[in-house]
Amino acid sequence: MSRSSIFMAVMLVLLTGLSTGQNLKLEKTLTVPPDAEVSFAAISSRGDYVAAACKDGRVRLWAFPSGEPRQVFDLTDQPASALRFSDDGSLLAVGGDRGAGKIWGLPSGKLKLEFTVGTRIEALALSPDRTLLAIARQEMPAQLWDISAGRLITDLPAKFSGSLAVAFSPDGQRLVSADADTEIRFYEAQTGALRATNSDFLLETFAIGFSPNGKYLYLGGADKTISALDPVSGKTLRAFPKQSYVVGELQVSRDGKSIAAVYFDPNGFRNPAPVLLWDVATGMVRTTIQENGFTANGGQFLNDGRLLLTSSATGKLQVWSVR
Amino acid sequence: MPLRRSAPTRREILEQCVALGSLAVVAASPARAMLDAFEQHEREYHRPTPPNELGPFYKKNAPVTSMFRVPGDPGIPLVVSGQVFNTRGDQLTGAVVEIWQTDHLGHYDLDGYRYRGKIALDKTAAYKLDSVMPGHYPDRVCQHVHFAVTAPGHKPLVTQLYFATDPVFEGDPDRNFKRDPLIHSRELVRPVMLVGDPDQIQAAVRFELCLEIL
Repeated sequence: MSRSSIFMAVMLVLLTGLSTGQNLKLEKTLTVPPDAEVSFAAISSRGDYVAAACKDGRVRLWAFPSGEPRQVFDLTDQPASALRFSDDGSLLAVGGDRGAGKIWGLPSGKLKLEFTVGTRIEALALSPDRTLLAIARQEMPAQLWDISAGRLITDLPAKFSGSLAVAFSPDGQRLVSADADTEIRFYEAQTGALRATNSDFLLETFAIGFSPNGKYLYLGGADKTISALDPVSGKTLRAFPKQSYVVGELQVSRDGKSIAAVYFDPNGFRNPAPVLLWDVATGMVRTTIQENGFTANGGQFLNDGRLLLTSSATGKLQVWSVR
Repeated sequence: MPLRRSAPTRREILEQCVALGSLAVVAASPARAMLDAFEQHEREYHRPTPPNELGPFYKKNAPVTSMFRVPGDPGIPLVVSGQVFNTRGDQLTGAVVEIWQTDHLGHYDLDGYRYRGKIALDKTAAYKLDSVMPGHYPDRVCQHVHFAVTAPGHKPLVTQLYFATDPVFEGDPDRNFKRDPLIHSRELVRPVMLVGDPDQIQAAVRFELCLEIL
């Protein structure tokens, strides 16, 4: 079962209640129609938009912090499975369950690129200068695309199967893929030339994210551990304490001091699982969000890490202030 | 009960057919050359095993073992056997076959290597796995066993084996195999043979693994 399938399963979970930790406060709730179901949500880096990829094949966009609905984009006739804003918030890339993808310009809503990659899109990444698109595909090699030319630059093959997560470094020099053969591969972003490989991980990695200064690549997956890697050498630098659940998503805060990690239970994706906020300096959990059957399928920091967006199966997007 | 592996080779059978007159060779070329051509032609019709998703819990560096089951393991004993070959019919004795599955309750071992292993092939590229019938993983519809097969010069094969006896199919996998949205090919649902005494029942399944040539 792929990561997208996992989150599709997670979406079936009913959010029965949520109480906050001592340093959490619910600031705002956004909702989608009951039959839409959110598979993934994101917030633009400036914090002015929130977008949700939905199972009904639509992508819903809100202005933030007002929460006013701004636009509904149609992917195609397939569930949206991946979503990514460009760093400056001027592009929104969305991928589908059967390989269709689109990139829209913001705030115009103008379609910039339409593509199809033949199989489910697990994750997307846009280079900081908005010229390159990386696509993690189910059971097929990840791909590097030239956005303005609308053409494939190269495949990024693993030993077998596909890829689960992709990310560009903040300076745009490196592209990283977490592949289903459990290897982490570091590429030259412009060409896709392989520069380093990390083979330390025995199980698949589902989520990767750079620190804002580009010095660290954080990742997590089926080994239930968040690890930090050197993006130049590819070597593993440190690992945070292992948890009971599998890491499904992670994001580093803008100030680089915190990591938000969304977990799921490997013995049943419908089971409750936490969102943890990690303190990078101490390597300890700072805040836990887990009560009354809560299961999130996405979590992202806003702006300076003071606010956190979580999405869930019920179609609720919730914004928390984190002190 | 151990399953019978490949007994006489195809070549031996063909030669026996010629000797017994059930296959006549009437041509200017010698019988040997005609048999070679016949075999070559037939090899072209081997179809590759359909691929299927890798799934989220593959774990590399699994130990080399064909015995997943240890004494006292609950669940129905299961023997899966087959042969690894390519679309030309060549036996791929150098292939690496990795197999992993849940225990009888549907749980994967992420911390260790229970019900995970690399399977040794014999000189005819045949394999035989001793395991237990996997349980229903909570977020999948059907019982399944994962395979990843690699061989030099061949496209890696990632696939899954399903069981025709799975209650999900209600006895009719032809009609119902799509009840699991991840099953794209009926070929991956294999018949199950139950052998042994009722108090020592064992399930046996054949699953051939055919790789595409690069």
